[in-house]
Amino acid sequence: MQRLAQAYITGVGAFLPGAPVTNDRIEDHLGRIAGRDSLFGKKALRWNGVESRHYSMAPDGGVSHTNAQMCALALSQALERAGLGVGDLGMLAAATTQGDYFVPGHAAAVHAELRAPPLEIASFQSVCGSSLMAAKAAWNSVRTGEHRVAAACAGEFSSRFFRPSFYEGTTLVDEKGRLRPEADFLRFTLSDGAGAIAIEDKPRPGALKIDFIDIVSLANRFDPCMWAGAAIETRADMMTSWAHVGPRAAHHAGAIALLQDFELLKRVIRAWIGVYLQKVDEGRIVPSEIDHCLVHYSAKSLRAEIVSLLEDTAGMVPEAKWFSVLREKGNVGSASIWLMLEGLVQSGRIKSGEKLLCVVPESGRALVGFMVLEAV
Amino acid sequence: MSEAVADVLRKLTVVFTEFEGRLEQTPLIRKLTRGRFELADYQAFLVQLRQQVKDGALWMSRAASNIDEAHMELRSTLMRHAVTEHRDFRLLEADYVATGGDVNLIRSGEKNIGSEALSAWMFHEASGPNPFGLLGAMWIIEGLGSIKAQEWGRKVKETLALPDEAVRFLLYHGENDAEHIEEFKAMLAMVLPDESVARRIVKTAQVTARLYALQIEEIVA
Repeated sequence: MQRLAQAYITGVGAFLPGAPVTNDRIEDHLGRIAGRDSLFGKKALRWNGVESRHYSMAPDGGVSHTNAQMCALALSQALERAGLGVGDLGMLAAATTQGDYFVPGHAAAVHAELRAPPLEIASFQSVCGSSLMAAKAAWNSVRTGEHRVAAACAGEFSSRFFRPSFYEGTTLVDEKGRLRPEADFLRFTLSDGAGAIAIEDKPRPGALKIDFIDIVSLANRFDPCMWAGAAIETRADMMTSWAHVGPRAAHHAGAIALLQDFELLKRVIRAWIGVYLQKVDEGRIVPSEIDHCLVHYSAKSLRAEIVSLLEDTAGMVPEAKWFSVLREKGNVGSASIWLMLEGLVQSGRIKSGEKLLCVVPESGRALVGFMVLEAV
Repeated sequence: MSEAVADVLRKLTVVFTEFEGRLEQTPLIRKLTRGRFELADYQAFLVQLRQQVKDGALWMSRAASNIDEAHMELRSTLMRHAVTEHRDFRLLEADYVATGGDVNLIRSGEKNIGSEALSAWMFHEASGPNPFGLLGAMWIIEGLGSIKAQEWGRKVKETLALPDEAVRFLLYHGENDAEHIEEFKAMLAMVLPDESVARRIVKTAQVTARLYALQIEEIVA
């Protein structure tokens, strides 16, 4: 087999809409369910550790940027930082949890907003892990020699789905007006923004060589853990999914909302750790060689037992080498890993020869992705 | 902690997480996690658990009796474990009775295909000289106690609206996670570094996990 060429991340871009929104202002933006403050919100914020985020939707419902527009802005910055223009782009892979339309795919919307000439596109819809799916497609398109320049972007506009009208009048809200934690947790966790990377077949100063991108789905083991499109109790039975019962009935059943199962999440976290330790065991990931560790999960939310388990199994990258922007930029789903990478690159802390490990767990239906980069 | 211990612990953790994923897919646990668990499922589960828990202290004692003088500390640890656990199956009987079951039924319950295989495997492993591979089996079975038992117990109690007295084994038998790992590390350090022992521990964990899952797969109320 012919060897594949190397490919490099030569530009990283990010876009966050509007001014940062602090914890005490979240519900001013999203609105209040049944007009009342959430009782669960403070607990959710303690768990997720987020202190500030951005929303594309104003308190009055006005939209400053669509998901596709945010992606296009992040892409423009990534290309510009690589010294490229949209005309250089041969392939665009776009990721999101939910695009602006149901149909067609997100990449088409981003291409249109980017105002780029005709090019190859690919859309990836999942949750956080869609970022690496898109990155892998873009990376492979350069490695195979099909394109000299490719880009991957990931964007989220979660706040749209957090407005009271998505929950009110559904079984997700009880008679006292309290929203079920499965829904409320995500309202206080996710926010809006986009990130992007440009990939080329040649390095530039400051470029990051992609060593590998590995993505492992464990959907065979688990029921959906973070999902939309099915009611909580019946979600494992896909025959009951939202479109089968129709939009009104689905909304009433609480199926038109982003939901998270916490009990299952604990098991999924252990499964992620299993996959990670297997990579360590195979020598694919060597913790002692990692200089910067970007995990789309805060070390604080990992229970102390898990950190000590990673230490006991020689799998831990010391916390001093972890880099994150979750606390100040929010949890932006698929865009988060690029927001973290952008933050680290812009900080100027990466030295030539250093290795970066990016870890993107996706609770969706239990998936975890890894990317190892080497600074040129 | 030595590199050899960390290596084995890492491989064992991978085995356990794969095991947990396999359990998740069994019909019995799917019913439990999807809220469709019935009393008959729980009773059938207790019946299998009783036979296996009763055997646990027995194979551990047999293993202890096969440990040589160079590893007295490990022998002591296994003997202590066996003493601590050898009456635990009585708790399962009491739970069963508290669900409305007949004690004679659980006592005379027949092992299913998986339980038979698991039990035979344990006694087989315990019967050789210095059966250190069984540390891998302990990792799996004690891991169930410290990680899965309470989770299952809470879900069983909630789904079936049972009183605490009917779920005591699952709810209260689980050991403290941190202590359990510390003690286990100490046991590994008694037999490592030794490459063939390390391989045997991991292999024994894999076989035990597979047969344990088979036991759960075969439970059909």
